[in-house]
Amino acid sequence: MSSSSPPEQPDIDVTELEIDVAELEEAELLGAAPRVERALGDVRGRKGGGWVTLAWGLPGFVWLGFYLVAPLVFIVLVSFWTRTDTGFVRHWTLSNYGVLLHPFNLDNSYWKNMETSFVTSVIAVAACLVFGFPVAYFLAFKVQKLQNQIALFIIALAPFWTSFLTRSVAWAYPLMGREGALNQFLLKLHIVSQPVSAFGFSQLSVRLAMIQLYILFMVTPLFFLLGQVDRHALEAARDLGGNWWRTFREVILPQTMPGIVIGSIFIFVLTMGEYGTVTVIGQGAVSSVGTYIQQLVLGIQYPQGAAAAVFLVIALLAGVFVITRFANLREEL
Amino acid sequence: MTAAAEAATTARPQDRVIKRQLKPKRDWAKWGLGAYFVLFLVFLYAPMILMAMLSFQGYYGGVTFPFRGPTSVFWWKSIFETQVGGIFTHADEIGAAGRRSLWVSLAAGAVVAFFSFTISMAFRRRFRGDGIAFYVIMLALMTPGFLLGLGTQLLWKAMGFNTGLWLTALGANTVWGIPFGFLVMLAVWNRYDDHIEEAARDLGANLARTFREVTLPLVWTGVFGAALFGFTLTWNDFDRTVLLVLDNTLPLEIVGLIQASAIRPDLYALGTATTLVTLALIFSVLIVVTVRLRLRGRRVERVEEELGLEGAIDVAAAPTSS
Repeated sequence: MSSSSPPEQPDIDVTELEIDVAELEEAELLGAAPRVERALGDVRGRKGGGWVTLAWGLPGFVWLGFYLVAPLVFIVLVSFWTRTDTGFVRHWTLSNYGVLLHPFNLDNSYWKNMETSFVTSVIAVAACLVFGFPVAYFLAFKVQKLQNQIALFIIALAPFWTSFLTRSVAWAYPLMGREGALNQFLLKLHIVSQPVSAFGFSQLSVRLAMIQLYILFMVTPLFFLLGQVDRHALEAARDLGGNWWRTFREVILPQTMPGIVIGSIFIFVLTMGEYGTVTVIGQGAVSSVGTYIQQLVLGIQYPQGAAAAVFLVIALLAGVFVITRFANLREEL
Repeated sequence: MTAAAEAATTARPQDRVIKRQLKPKRDWAKWGLGAYFVLFLVFLYAPMILMAMLSFQGYYGGVTFPFRGPTSVFWWKSIFETQVGGIFTHADEIGAAGRRSLWVSLAAGAVVAFFSFTISMAFRRRFRGDGIAFYVIMLALMTPGFLLGLGTQLLWKAMGFNTGLWLTALGANTVWGIPFGFLVMLAVWNRYDDHIEEAARDLGANLARTFREVTLPLVWTGVFGAALFGFTLTWNDFDRTVLLVLDNTLPLEIVGLIQASAIRPDLYALGTATTLVTLALIFSVLIVVTVRLRLRGRRVERVEEELGLEGAIDVAAAPTSS
């Protein structure tokens, strides 16, 4: 009988039956959970419930509302107000945007700065991913003991806690620069015949420094997610004949995508809004959206600066939106 | 001979595969990636190490190599003493900026610890609008510091106040620290067993007592971590503070030294000093946390024994009626 009937048919029936049973059980458990909790007196929700949560949450969110949300709202408001000699008054106008969007101004320094900042950010994101992934991979897969993993990770993470400004200083003066250590090193090895002036106070130096300063924002989420990749899935992939590259592409990469997305968002947003690093390493030779707005603020052109900042925020939001298309964070975290 | 025994003696193809994997084989990828990791650390640390080295130059020291000896602490002294070796230093401004930085960072640490803890307490239960609340915290993490500084200045200007270290710079800096502290606290609550609190309440402790004697002792490491974030982020901040403060903090003072007419190695000494303060703080906290984690396993056991066997139940605190 078994040879005459098609062999697949009974198999499918069995699995379907099993799934049905499992689903039924699960549904029953889910349905039972509230009942169980009610039977136990709903311990978690018992003591006042909403009021306790409100009491815990309110002070913090009032603080954040005043020091985070209100300032951001005010950037938008002031961008529609009118400039005076000492600041601004509440006369609604669109001229601040008009200046920035005027056809003759579309190739002015603001949009040039926006473009260079954008390119810098994209380079930083890509470079941090390419150079950061092997670091996270090494820590998560090639270091056996968890203790050693964490110890090495903390050693790598420690510079993040120190001042970005000090690190920029250390980058710009002793290392890079015409007479910096890197140029002297390259000269000694006869790799270059004269000092490379592009190293000092230049766009190149700023962009390299961004990688150095922000790469840990990529390494950290990647390290955590790589640590959670199911080792059995890797073995299974290998047993099924997948080579290293296929295993990486089809097992590891999909599971680390949320980490890549989170790291990319961080680096994109923070480098695009950079001010301090560009000031210290660029030394006036390099500008960014941040330095452009700073110039406006120093010139007491607050509404103009606010309008410029609004465009920056729009660019940031657009960038974040595009990046989040690569993974469904809500589902995967 | 049974079928099972026969199967055991017959070589199966998958056995061969397993044997091959067990063979000791040098993992070249591991060594390659290890070497890369070392290079990565060099890339991260080299600038700071070079800076530290150059801060130990002598009187004729410059801002780049070659190292102009003799090796001395001349420039280190110059950030503490007003006059060293016949030259006037910036020690007075540095000292004032350092004190300001220290106090405002300590305050930021306390504020960040407090709000990280309270907000995370609210997030232990689901509540209406928790999605939006979470996005607000993420917004704090994502807002570029420079924009926040600008917005804060506009807001206070519109209200007719001047910005300053305590009123505005402190607030702007805590906004950057709170999400980090909050994430630390979330990690703590994830591993926290709610049943311990229920047990305490079942044993008769009221809400306040449960909080004081059960909850807080178990999570204070996280609160401390949040405070550490608040302190270091403020201690090192430039982007957020620059538009808000007229009296320099240490990072602003460092920029001041860069923009001074002649850059001298005292800049490096100051930079190295602030970095060392941060690193020392982090590693001492890490050591404390590690030691505490080692000890905790034992201590909890003992508490449970006490509660279960020695009858350390506070009868007086038990509710008299239900």
